[in-house]
Amino acid sequence: MSKLINCVPPENIEEYKNVMVYVEHRNGSIVRGSLEMIGRARVIADKVNEKVICVSLGDNLSPIAEEAGTYGCDIFLGAESPEHRYFRSIPYAHKITDFIEKYKPNILLISGTREGRDLVSRIAVRVRTGVAADCVELDVEPKQRLLISWRPAFGDKTINQILCRKHRPQTVSSRPGSYPVPEKIPGRKCEVRIEKVKLDEKYLKHRIVSRKPKEKLDLTKSDIIVSGGLGLGKPDGFKLIRELADVLGGDVGASRPVVDLGWIPYDHQVGQTGQTVRAKLYVAAGISGKIQHVVGMKASETIISINNDPDAGIAKYSDYFINADLYKAIPIMIDEIKKRKKGSGGAKKSS
Amino acid sequence: MTLKIIVMMKQVPDAEEIFIDPVTYTLNRTAARGVINIPDENALEIALQIKDKVGAEVTVISMGPPQAEEAIIECMGRGADRGILITDRAFAAADTYATSLTLAATIDKIGKYDIILAGESTTDSGTGHVGPGVAEFLDIDQVTYAESAEVVDDKIRVKRILEDADEVVEVPFPVLVTVLTGANIPRRATLRRKIDAIKKGIERWDHETLGLPPDWIGIRGSPTIVGAVKVPEEKKRASKKISLEQIPEMIDELFEKGIIKREDGA
Ligand SMILES: Cc1cc2nc3c(=O)[nH]c(=O)nc-3n(C[C@H](O)[C@H](O)[C@H](O)COP(=O)(O)OP(=O)(O)OC[C@H]3O[C@@H](n4cnc5c(N)ncnc54)[C@H](O)[C@@H]3O)c2cc1C
Ligand SMILES: Nc1ncnc2c1ncn2[C@@H]1O[C@H](COP(=O)(O)O)[C@@H](O)[C@H]1O
Repeated sequence: MSKLINCVPPENIEEYKNVMVYVEHRNGSIVRGSLEMIGRARVIADKVNEKVICVSLGDNLSPIAEEAGTYGCDIFLGAESPEHRYFRSIPYAHKITDFIEKYKPNILLISGTREGRDLVSRIAVRVRTGVAADCVELDVEPKQRLLISWRPAFGDKTINQILCRKHRPQTVSSRPGSYPVPEKIPGRKCEVRIEKVKLDEKYLKHRIVSRKPKEKLDLTKSDIIVSGGLGLGKPDGFKLIRELADVLGGDVGASRPVVDLGWIPYDHQVGQTGQTVRAKLYVAAGISGKIQHVVGMKASETIISINNDPDAGIAKYSDYFINADLYKAIPIMIDEIKKRKKGSGGAKKSS
Repeated sequence: MTLKIIVMMKQVPDAEEIFIDPVTYTLNRTAARGVINIPDENALEIALQIKDKVGAEVTVISMGPPQAEEAIIECMGRGADRGILITDRAFAAADTYATSLTLAATIDKIGKYDIILAGESTTDSGTGHVGPGVAEFLDIDQVTYAESAEVVDDKIRVKRILEDADEVVEVPFPVLVTVLTGANIPRRATLRRKIDAIKKGIERWDHETLGLPPDWIGIRGSPTIVGAVKVPEEKKRASKKISLEQIPEMIDELFEKGIIKREDGA
């Protein structure tokens, strides 16, 4: 039972320093979840006077390294190979483990995308440490450099604080969409160390037969979202939702039942089993405000809801609660916005 | 040689019936019915489909309290051949490391296997980390987020769904596959099979059966601990009630605050 051993803590945890981030990328740019992690890593590293180390695998990493630098990375470690164009669990996990063993980070942050979750526990088992999984808040206690992670439990009914006192690196998978994307600093540079690697033949037995990219709406990147729910009453209602989204320059979201009914595709779904969004403006029309929807949108800055039920639960989560029929309210909104957008009509002078 | 498939199944409290005690912040488990974790049902269904097509011996393993036996019997009622309940007070409060270790030790003791199937995540603690953790302990390959899987010679061919792409991969045995929630419609158990399962009985293994020292498992074997529990703070919102007549005023405010921008950027 050579591999089946317990989680032995390292003796010298003071040796572990810096915050490492696993960087996932697609089509030459870093995915949003990883940008969130670089941002968080920067905040944590600054608190304890340490560095942010990004690690990434791929077939062309220079642009990724450059982008990581502009978001706050100090040292970029890459392993480049034509075969690393596609993600494979084992060679990825092994290489990242090598980086961890060499650089001994105190903290390792991985965004909990599907790729991230596929990787994180393999890495943690390999380096014999624990994972705080699916976290939504992260902070550091500066004296002991102890990571304080919080994760929702029981369908987000409670939030549990997870600590990993004796094992290193303190490893986290974070729920995508839980943090803002950090401010980009154009021209900011990081130290880049990219090595060429050769993938062991045996790993190629894991054969990627086909990969079909799908046009997917990424609502986690939207600043303005107008969502429709069952209150629309008919599939056609999404025309009006779309119209409002268009005048606002935003995207269309939805609650789960209307997705289940086939009124709109799944990639529009917001909520626990859909996307977690952080819009600057979120409009919920004909949505009751059940917790499974709310967890996916409540981090938005300004929330407007439209509901004809004066007691609708969504009111509590809204800055503005339009208590009216959405088919009356939305056309008025569209009209009023159009007038002001053009700078004519009833708008007050903006100075 | 018959294929050997192992399904990892967890009994979880029914999500619809979860009740959190407002004072202690703990889960009132007695109130919630135990059910099979949803994606684990989909994982079992894939195992049974493979069994129907090419023949296989399907073993369900579950780590949990004695009442998880019910869920194993249900799986056998659907067509699983063997059930093992890994149960021991000493397993309690295991994190993903200790859980993965315990399940991997169980699989190691079972011995021969070609395919291990697990759910993508559990609805009660939902990390999705146990499947890959087990694969790492056993030093075998994995394919996560499967929507469907079929056996082609000595390989498994899996369609997996990622955020931005659908992927088809082929991996030789042994391999661990995690299955998406709702990947298929699980069959129902038959009464006859359930009665047979109860007659046959399920095996119960504890830490001694597995040869795992007590400090490797449960809370003692877990590198992470729960430090504190809180109820999420809700950001206080104004909930300003707006009538149809007040909409222009609201829109004015949104422009003033820069939440909506004019075409000229002002
Ligand atoms: C495990 C699990 C996961 C889930 N995941 C998600 C998820 O990811 N996302 C999600 O959204 N849901 C999710 N749900 C479902 C969730 O519990 C609710 O059922 C769902 O959010 C309700 O959608 P709704 O608000 O559109 O519909 P309803 O609850 O039916 O609300 C419709 C609202 O429209 C209002 N209305 C009706 N007519 C009008 C009108 N003419 N003008 C204005 N208002 C009107 C009504 O007053 C009502 O408040 C999940 C549930 C479970 C159990
Ligand atoms: N106690 C357990 N017994 C058997 N299988 C489990 C157990 N915990 C988790 N699993 C399996 O691992 C998957 C992922 O669980 P988790 O990592 O807890 O989200 C589940 O869908 C199950 O297939």
